[in-house]
Amino acid sequence: MKTFALQHLLLLLLLNGLPAHARESDGDLILGNPGEPQTLDPHRYNLRLEETILTDLFLGLTAMDPEGRIIPGAAESWTVSEDGLTWTFRLRENLKWSDGEPLTAEDFVFSFRRLLDPATAASLAYFMYPIANARAVNAGELPPAALGVSAPDPRTLALELAEPYPHLPERLLYPTGFAVPGHVIDAHGDDWVKAEHWVSNGAYRLEAWRPQAYVALEANPHFHEPVAIPRVRYLPLANEQNAYNRYRAGEVHAIGGFPSSELDRVRRTMPEHLRISPLLSMIYLVFNTTRAPFDDVRVREALTLMVQPDILTEKIQRTGNYAARSFVPFLVEGYDAPVPAFHDQPLPDRMSRAKALLGEAGYGPDNPLEVTLRYFDEGDGKRSNLAIASFWRQIGVTTRLHHTELKVHFTDLRQGDFQVAQAGWIGENNPGHYLELLISDAGNVNYGRYRNQAYDTLMQAAGKQKELAERYRLMREAEALAMGEYPVVPLWSVAVKRLVSPDLKGWHENHRDVHAVRYLSW
Amino acid sequence: MTGYLLNRLLISGATFLVIITAVFFMIRAAPGGPFDGDRRLPPEVEANLLAAYDLDQPPGRQYLNYLGMLARGDLGPSFKQKDFTVNELIASGLPVSLGVGLTALLLAVLGGVGIGVQAGLSPGSFSDAALMGAANLGLALPSIVLAPLAVLVFAVWLGWLPAGGVGSPAHFILPPLALALPFVTAIARLTRGSVAETLLEPHVMTAHAKGLPHRRIVFRHILPIALLPVLSFLGPAAAALLTGSVVIEQVFELPGIGRYFVQAALNRDYTLVMGVVVVYAAFILMFNLLVDLCYARLDPRIRVAD
Repeated sequence: MKTFALQHLLLLLLLNGLPAHARESDGDLILGNPGEPQTLDPHRYNLRLEETILTDLFLGLTAMDPEGRIIPGAAESWTVSEDGLTWTFRLRENLKWSDGEPLTAEDFVFSFRRLLDPATAASLAYFMYPIANARAVNAGELPPAALGVSAPDPRTLALELAEPYPHLPERLLYPTGFAVPGHVIDAHGDDWVKAEHWVSNGAYRLEAWRPQAYVALEANPHFHEPVAIPRVRYLPLANEQNAYNRYRAGEVHAIGGFPSSELDRVRRTMPEHLRISPLLSMIYLVFNTTRAPFDDVRVREALTLMVQPDILTEKIQRTGNYAARSFVPFLVEGYDAPVPAFHDQPLPDRMSRAKALLGEAGYGPDNPLEVTLRYFDEGDGKRSNLAIASFWRQIGVTTRLHHTELKVHFTDLRQGDFQVAQAGWIGENNPGHYLELLISDAGNVNYGRYRNQAYDTLMQAAGKQKELAERYRLMREAEALAMGEYPVVPLWSVAVKRLVSPDLKGWHENHRDVHAVRYLSW
Repeated sequence: MTGYLLNRLLISGATFLVIITAVFFMIRAAPGGPFDGDRRLPPEVEANLLAAYDLDQPPGRQYLNYLGMLARGDLGPSFKQKDFTVNELIASGLPVSLGVGLTALLLAVLGGVGIGVQAGLSPGSFSDAALMGAANLGLALPSIVLAPLAVLVFAVWLGWLPAGGVGSPAHFILPPLALALPFVTAIARLTRGSVAETLLEPHVMTAHAKGLPHRRIVFRHILPIALLPVLSFLGPAAAALLTGSVVIEQVFELPGIGRYFVQAALNRDYTLVMGVVVVYAAFILMFNLLVDLCYARLDPRIRVAD
């Protein structure tokens, strides 16, 4: 009977499957990226997962070696003037775009102007605000030509700064500092980013981009060094469980994360694939200092005293995150972050002080303190916040946990619509990048609206120093001052948990978790 | 009939307009905007961004502009996928969603009718109980449970099929199966009931009495009648399969429009959400219209009432 035949066919399909699916062609590298890029225009980028791809497609003035050290990129060397305000970059000889056109210092001048031109609407344009007149150009008050960038000759680029900024080589690692091909943009306008028009100066160029399926790159024949891997495909794997499945099914050579709950199994069954490394980042709690009860420094101190970040990372999460004792992550080099004294006091002492502080502030058994803790992260964040609620319960504080998705969370934080909330910052290798979050005119990223004139003055003074040592000394003083007023509770620095095929050579951990494909080989 | 058709078309058009109007304003009422992130946006930059995407205009004006664009078939630029227009994104994603949806529909009809007929021809027998028991399992296991399970078994453990993504025909086996299963069950139950009922019809008994071959009775005298309810189920089912692939596309990482839909909503990508809603609404209204017309064709009472 025909119906029987059909059923049998279906059953056969279900039971036997088809011959093993074709693995991706040999030699191509398949990398999981934690999501779909929103653009490959380096001036319009916004996300770390875009930065990953853009670092393969472009080469900035400076670059990063596999271990994360800053090395020459398109510039072979650079010098700083005595006053720290003029940076002169010497470009490599014979630099070319991927279409063979010569790349000159004028291309960088064009690119910095484009980044800051209000018409480009670059959301990260402020990364280049250290350049003289950048802010005014970006606000439309001055023409792009007024920007402090010039090209005295085709291989020399001069950047004039408004204030000394010793971290400029680091800042230039970001795609906002990359050069875009003016000659292609002139010809194709916004469509220059389409694969068919694509031109860039990195080790790779764009071959194809199929939305939500993959971004394919191929080696750029005009790059100044040969590369070992001819083609790369980045897959958008936003869901960690899916990424983990696809890695185990052999469809991807490296993924950027997998479910924390699988960590033990991975350690047991595939330890040679596991790569755990600290990321320059700070996850913290922020108190809204403009609203009761956290406008009272005693309440902020009491709650801070009870939080034990090491319990969170070592007992609750056990996913490798690094407990924080200061607001500036311990990973930041050359900066000796001040650790508040209470970290070394025994818990009973801290608890009795916390109870006393709450009592002074008018809270106790008759008038218990109730707070709402907001968070967005369903993974490590949720379990940690439950633990924080239990820390606070020990001093009679009732905590209501309130979860919202990321967009809503940060919108409310920026509007100051919260009591105490989870926040995070993935930053640079310099303390200022974290500490400026607490400056009173930092705008709405100072979520808790912390305000301290002395802190602002110290940070301002630090910003005028061209010597790192003096800069860091003032910042250290500023951090100690702010931490004495408890605007934030530093919790942990994130550990990135990757799975990387053991066949892949040249993969090194670094604190930014950027792994340029040009350093990799089979 | 023409009057009826015109009437249905008008109602569909009005529904379409109501849907896009509601979604247009609802997505804008959701907290957060397309350019909110966890990083700082200086006011100058935010102003530049809003102006570039027409968001500095009052909502009524934005709405009229959008309708104007829609009338020209232009769904606008994506706010978040800055390198693509919504038209380009949908042109890239729709074939994937349609492919999965239509394959699932085919599987659901073939599997459901096959099982239903087999079970219905001998109601109460062992094969009836076994087949319907198995089919009911499909109803008890929603796609969201079944799909990850299928990935684990067939991709991770057995390594027969890819765990996700696109690139070969093998990528299009698990997703339609996972999507189709609940519909196989529904169609099987529908078919079984109606086949079992038709068996008792006098004309079937007459056919048996005349000594017609079993096969001829099934195909000529039972199925055409028994499958009418299935036919009317197909309209809503087709729409549900198309939109149901939202979940399946997430689980199997398929680059279809269902995936855009979820991400666009989370990203507050207003134009992309609108674009996907326009496509979904158009398909669902079209399926419903087709079903209405089929009813009218099969059931003269509807035309009379009109």
